[in-house]
Formats: sequence, structure tokens, C-alpha cells
Amino acid sequence: MSAPLFRAVTMARRLDTGIMERQNTIWRILLLAIPLAVFSIFIVWPLLNSFYYSFTNWNGFNAEYDFVGLKNFSKVLTTRLFTNAAINTLIWMVAAIVLPSLAGLGLALLLDSKIRGANVFKSIFYLPICLSAIVVGQIWVWIFQPDWGLLNMAISAISGEPFTYAWLAKPGSAIYAVIVAWSWQQTGLSMVIFLAGLTGIPQDLTEVAEIEGATRWQRTWHVVLPLLRPATVVVIALSVINSLKGFDILYIMTGGGPFNSSDTLAMYMYNESFKKYRMGYGSAISVILFLITLTIIFIYFRQLKKVDEIYD
Amino acid sequence: MLRILRSAGLGALVGTGLAFGGGVALAADEVTISHYFTGELGREGLEEIFSRFSSETGVTVKESPIGHEDFKTGILVRAAGGNLPDIFSYWAGARTQFVVDAGNLQPIDAMWAANNLDDVVSKSIADGATRYNDKRYLVPFGYHYAGMFYNTKVMADAGITEMPETWDEFLATLQTLKDKGITPIALGSKDRWPAQFWFDYLLLRTAGPDYRAKLMAGEASYTDDQVKAAMGLWKSLTDAGYFAENANASGWTDASDKVASGEAAMTLMGTWITGYWNGNGLKPGVDYDFFEFPTVDASIPNAVVGPVDGLVMSAKAANQANAEKLLAFLVSDQKAQAKWSQVQGALSPNVKVDESIYTPVMKRALETVANAEAFAFNYDLATTPPMAEIGLSMFARFMDDPSGYEAYLQEVEEGAQDVFEK
Repeated sequence: MSAPLFRAVTMARRLDTGIMERQNTIWRILLLAIPLAVFSIFIVWPLLNSFYYSFTNWNGFNAEYDFVGLKNFSKVLTTRLFTNAAINTLIWMVAAIVLPSLAGLGLALLLDSKIRGANVFKSIFYLPICLSAIVVGQIWVWIFQPDWGLLNMAISAISGEPFTYAWLAKPGSAIYAVIVAWSWQQTGLSMVIFLAGLTGIPQDLTEVAEIEGATRWQRTWHVVLPLLRPATVVVIALSVINSLKGFDILYIMTGGGPFNSSDTLAMYMYNESFKKYRMGYGSAISVILFLITLTIIFIYFRQLKKVDEIYD
Repeated sequence: MLRILRSAGLGALVGTGLAFGGGVALAADEVTISHYFTGELGREGLEEIFSRFSSETGVTVKESPIGHEDFKTGILVRAAGGNLPDIFSYWAGARTQFVVDAGNLQPIDAMWAANNLDDVVSKSIADGATRYNDKRYLVPFGYHYAGMFYNTKVMADAGITEMPETWDEFLATLQTLKDKGITPIALGSKDRWPAQFWFDYLLLRTAGPDYRAKLMAGEASYTDDQVKAAMGLWKSLTDAGYFAENANASGWTDASDKVASGEAAMTLMGTWITGYWNGNGLKPGVDYDFFEFPTVDASIPNAVVGPVDGLVMSAKAANQANAEKLLAFLVSDQKAQAKWSQVQGALSPNVKVDESIYTPVMKRALETVANAEAFAFNYDLATTPPMAEIGLSMFARFMDDPSGYEAYLQEVEEGAQDVFEK
């Protein structure tokens, strides 16, 4: 190739690259604009609205309302129902993280030990995660039904005495009954992630430990569990996010009742806003809930960074 | 735009974007209506009524039914988004007052006069349920009476032939049933509202309608002796073991089923129970009947309790002329009213409806209301919605553990002071 021709081809290539770069930029902007617009309309703007209404006494129906400053926040933070909902949220989050994770780990360890029909059990235990929370909630409402529910019928059959405890209608048990239903559904997800983690553990390590005389428990505790750390971080991070979204199952099973005993902050916000028609007050609760969620998400991202470091 | 965005904001609050959306222009021959008459509350009958309206007028009814409890939230979201249908069902009383005060409804005085509805609607219902802030806003579609509905065979088997009229007679009846091993009273307060009738009647029978009206308006205190006395009387019934256990675990239909099957003898419920029972094959007057809530103090005027299901027109109805046509049709058309009474177990506010449409039980309910000295809306329609929420939760709490009722009343009063800004 002659020198002038070479220069011409190089220039043409540069021009092409320049045009392509510009076209790519236009495409990037166009493609990002759609999700950004949707995100702004459905997430950012409502969020800003919630902040705005939290300083008002708007009831949801009236076109007019007054600004009340921080009155809603001072009321929220001093009311017994808020404290109750905050404690329940804490119970819900801790239990909704710990129980499915532990149960999922237990099942994964059992099913990884080459028992017969392991694949069938894996499918069965994973099945609930495919159901919607509404369906799961309704199934457990029937299971917990005091007169003809499966649980009380089983207890009655075992004890030989009629047992009619109303699990979802008693303030002492309602939220825990919902946690059981939630854990039942979420365990399958944790199990699958732990099973994936177990496949990544070299068999040599456990075999060496076995040759060295380590018991099954010692092998699990000192070899398997430390190597499952990346999977554990993923399971916990997912459990945190899922537990924050756990509104629907509570709504179906108790609606925050009986008499607010199973209210979480999200349920409390919903009831104040939509049942008592106190939209300003409900917005103040949602702002507080938003700040709590933001803190948790911040911790979540830090954990995610740690996972990346572990994988690197 | 602001309304649309506000609607989107509400949607985000409940975690859904469904609330988003502006009004859609409708064709001239349409009318939109949203209502809570679903399932056992008469959906099928209503479809038939709408279909007849459409064939007679050529106006298509576009309906969007929402379940009774979800309706309270659904209509709020639509109101906030400025996206109300032309007509929607609503409960007469404090709830309608709330929406009127918010400026969401359109007065219907002109339509009322043009259709001579004064000659159609019973005066007591027209006076008590349709007027707000000196204007007419609501068309009564049907109303109900809450009474003590019982299983006739269970009562007869227990040797009870005369139904109780006084408190002492009532207690004797309950004890007789209990002694025979029958649960005297079923109550399904899972959704809280079924328990309100007990509070309503006990307060009306012991403190009278005037005092109750003051309490509902925030002019009396929940810690007053009158309220404590009513609750104390209620507690005496629970302490005696007259109520079926686990009331908060059952819905009103579960309680109705217990009475129908003979597991329990009676339940305090609105006349919509007759629609439910008839639909299940029970024969009115043969399988079931009712008696009035007993008198506690003979010097206190006899009041009856119940809700009035109404229809209202939104302030910005896109099809006002058609909406007015439908409103007038639903209350004045005798066939529509008759059908509605039959499917829903409602009493008709239309005085021209032939009483022969009623079952013997409903005919007696009609007479009972007519003979009463006062008609009172049930608790959650008599007091403002934020207060009703607090009170309803207290009733459910009472049914779980009646022993702490004085402390519960103290808490309710704290809530009342906040709601009524006392």
C-alpha cells in the first residue's frame, strides 16, 4: 500500500470511528432516557412528594391542606404504635434473615451429601419460591385456621385433646406465624445459593480432613462453612432486600392485626395513610422508613463490595 | 399534572404504580361507576340491573367493582389522582360527610327535584342519609338493619319459644342455651367491624341516642361512665362464656355459618346476612329469624342500628347527564329496587316498592325500623374515619381480652383527642 493511500484509509477509519462514537453516545442517551424517565416518574417524584406531604396535614381527599412543620414527625416518634411497629420491623428483619438462611444452609448440607432422590427434594424445597406471596399467605392462613387448620388438627391428633389456638388472631403469635410462612417460602432460595456454593468447594479438602481424622461435624465447621462465606454473604444480602419487601404476605395474613400487634413500619404507614386518611402523617412514617432502608442499603452495598473482594 | 403526579406518589406509597393515570374521555352514551358490591354482596344482581338500565336508555354502564374493604383504599387513591368515576357507591353518614367536605362530590338537588325523589324515598332515610352541609349529595340504594339473627331449630330444641325483649330475659335465654351445650353467640370480628354492633346497641340501650351522637362527634369522652357501663355489660357476656371462642379468627360469614349449622344459636348482624343465607339454601322464617336487641333501660328511646348504602356523583363527573339518569333509575325503578332487595338482603328506601317482594323476615325488619324511635348509623359510619379505625381496633382487642377494657378506653380517648383536636 502506498503512503498516500495508507493515510487516506487511516483518516477514513478515524472518521468512521468518530461517527460511530457519536452514534453510540446518542444511542446511550436514548436508551438510558427511557428507564431514567420511568425511574424519575415512579420513584424519584413520588419520593420527593412523600417528603413534601410529610410536612402537611393532607388527608388524601382534600384539595387543600396546611403546612404543619415537624408536627407529624414529633407525633410519629412519640406514639406507642410507632414504637410497636419499629420493634416488629426489627423482629421481622432479624427472623426473616436468620431463619431462611439457617434452614437453607441445613437443607443444602443435607442434600449435598448424595442422599437418594436429592434432586427431587431440591425441586420440592425450591417450589415455594415460585409462588406469589399472596398465594403463600393464603395457604398459611388456612394452615393456621384454629378450627380446621392443618397445624391445629395435627396438634390435636398428636395430643389427643382438641386444640384451637388462633395463631393469627392472637397478638402474641400473629407476627411469628407470618414469619414461619415467610421462612417457608424463602428457604428454597437460600438452599439453592448454598448448594451452588457447595459445588465450588474442592472435594480434596474435605477428603484430606477426613483422612486426618476430622469428624463430619468438624469437617463442616472448619472446612465447609469458611469456604461458604461468599455464598453466605449473598444469601444474607438477598434476605435483607427481600425482608424489606415483605409487605404483601403480612397484608394478606394479618393486615397488621390483631389490633396493630403485627404492624411493621410499612404496614403502619399503609394503615395510617389509607385507612385513617392521614396522608401527611403516613408520609412522615414513610420518610422515616426510607431513611432506615437507605441505611440498610448502604450497609448492603458495603457487603457487596466485600463479596467482590473475596471473589477477586 | 399535579393531580397525576400526586396519584403517582400515592401509588408509590402502596408499592404500585396502578394509581397513575389521568382521566380518559368517554363516549356520550357511557357512564362509569365503581362500587363495593362484589361476591356475596350482590354483584350478580347488580349486573342484571345495569343491563336493564342499558337496554332501556341506551347508555352503557362501565363498572369497576372493588372488594368491600379494598374499596376504602381504592377510592381514596382515585380521588387523590382526580380520577374518580362518574358515580361511586359510598356509605351514608360520617364517611360521605368526609368526602363532601373534601370537595369531591357534586350536589344532586336538581336531579332529586326533577325526578320527584321526595315522593319516592322514605322521609326518614332522605332526612338522615342524603343531605350534607344543607345540600343533597347521596342517593340511597339500599339500607340494612342490624338485629339478632338466630337459628330457629336450635332455639326450639333448647325450648326457647318466646324471644327475649328485656336484658334479663336475654341473659336467661343465653344461659339456657349454654346449659344445653350450645354456644349462644357467634361473632366473627376478624375484620373488626362485626363487633361494632355490640358496642352500638349496648351504648344506645344504656346511654341513649343523644349521648351516642355526642360521642361520635367527639363531644363526649370514651372514659365517660356511660361508655364504661356499656363496655362493662359487654364484658359480663364474655365473662359468662356466651361468645364462641376465637372471635377474631373468624369473618362474618364464618360466624353466620356457625349459626346456620347449629353450632351457635345467634349472631348480631345486618340484614345482608339474609342474602347470604338465602343464597346458601336457608329458608327465611323457617330456618332462621331475628329478634330485636333487648331493652336494657325502658326509659331510653328504642333505636335501631344499620348502614345506608348510597351512590354519589363525583364533582368532576365526565358524563353528568348519564350519571344523573343512572342515579335516578337505581333508586326509583321499582324492579331494580326489588331485585336489589332480593339479592342483597337490603331494605328498599323506595316507598313505592311492593312489600310483597320481601321475605317474612325482611318484612319484619322493615316494620322494626319503621317502629323505632331513632335510626343510628353503625359505629364506623357514625364517627369520622380516623376515629372509626381506632375504635374498631379497640373492639377487636376487647374480644381478645375483655379484662383490660378500661385501659383500652383510655387509649381510645387519647386517640380521640388527637382526631378531634380536643
